[in-house]
Amino acid sequence: MSRRQHKPRARGAPVTTVVVLRLYIVGGAPNSVQAIANLEAICREYLKDGHKLEVVDVLEHPRRALADGVLVTPSLAKLSPLPAANVVGNLSDKAKVLLALGLKGKVQ
Amino acid sequence: MRLKNLPLRLAKGGPEQQAIEAGEIDAIIDHASSNVILLPAARRALQEAAHEASKANSLLAALPPAEHQRLLAGLEPVTLKFGEVLQEPGVPIRYVYFPVDCAISLVTTIEGPEVGLVGYEGAVGISLALGVDVSSVRALVQATGTAMRMTAAHFDKTFHQCPALQRELYRYADAKLAMARQIVACNCFHAVEARLARWLLMTSDRVRSEEFFLTQAFLAEMLGVRRATVNEAAGPLQRRKLITYTHGRIRIVDRKGLEATACGCYTRIALNAPLRRSSSASPGLASSP
Repeated sequence: MSRRQHKPRARGAPVTTVVVLRLYIVGGAPNSVQAIANLEAICREYLKDGHKLEVVDVLEHPRRALADGVLVTPSLAKLSPLPAANVVGNLSDKAKVLLALGLKGKVQ
Repeated sequence: MRLKNLPLRLAKGGPEQQAIEAGEIDAIIDHASSNVILLPAARRALQEAAHEASKANSLLAALPPAEHQRLLAGLEPVTLKFGEVLQEPGVPIRYVYFPVDCAISLVTTIEGPEVGLVGYEGAVGISLALGVDVSSVRALVQATGTAMRMTAAHFDKTFHQCPALQRELYRYADAKLAMARQIVACNCFHAVEARLARWLLMTSDRVRSEEFFLTQAFLAEMLGVRRATVNEAAGPLQRRKLITYTHGRIRIVDRKGLEATACGCYTRIALNAPLRRSSSASPGLASSP
């Protein structure tokens, strides 16, 4: 039995916010391929290691898409931090994606 | 784009509708029927990709265009992941798999050593072609990759209409039986080091790469030995610079040397299934009749 240890956070230490994203796609379909590439480029540029991205192929996991209320693919969901946000399409509109991710102010 | 027939429940002028009109959508998830509806451009792209991928499987590539086309209608590409179980002994076969770039091990029981290995040269579930709809082996994905999959029902219907497919599968079934015999004998009589070398070469042939991922536990299971024994056998192969083995990633460095270490079973076991045909002189992949 392991005992949970509480480590006090050092006062003033920076708290890194991890952006949790989920991208619903159809594997191999043109807009989905483009959406993955566009999102990866945005994450590389703006989020570096501060993000978690899960890609869900709706043909392989249709129940997940149904349960999560996804209407179309590609569809990007920002789950955390709140507020949650959604963007649909191939994510070629970078400004729209950044707005949804709460990174609008960082646009060059 | 024709959307009239789609059972859409999307808000008029909403972001989804706008994205559809801009051609940025691949599929619509219809919550009323619980279906994923592919839009025409995505459907075409996937069909083309499936057509290309299916050519990478030797059994499918060997079919004349008309039969290939007929078969393609029932085939869908799937990603098979390491460790996934496709079939269990005594359980009805649900799908026939034609690997493209994955490798599938056939074992008799969970603990038992391997009795067959299937890659792009073959198919899993071909007992259906012999009139048996229950699997006699466990089919375990050994190397992650793509396969073309067909439901048992569709296979049953199509198989009888495709004489070239029948010919290819009967020939392959014979080669697979020969492989199983050879592997069983090999497992009984040959040293672990030689068997390990044989097995690495067979895997490499089927994934078409000198580098692949295998855990020690998986290797031990496939060879029917303890993990410590795998270590003892892999050590000399590494010291002689035939392979490297780091964190489960195996790389064949010296193929010729590894072939010399492997038992003769390696050369006797198909990939060279066509060698068994009197009309075919060249080793390698299945060829058209």
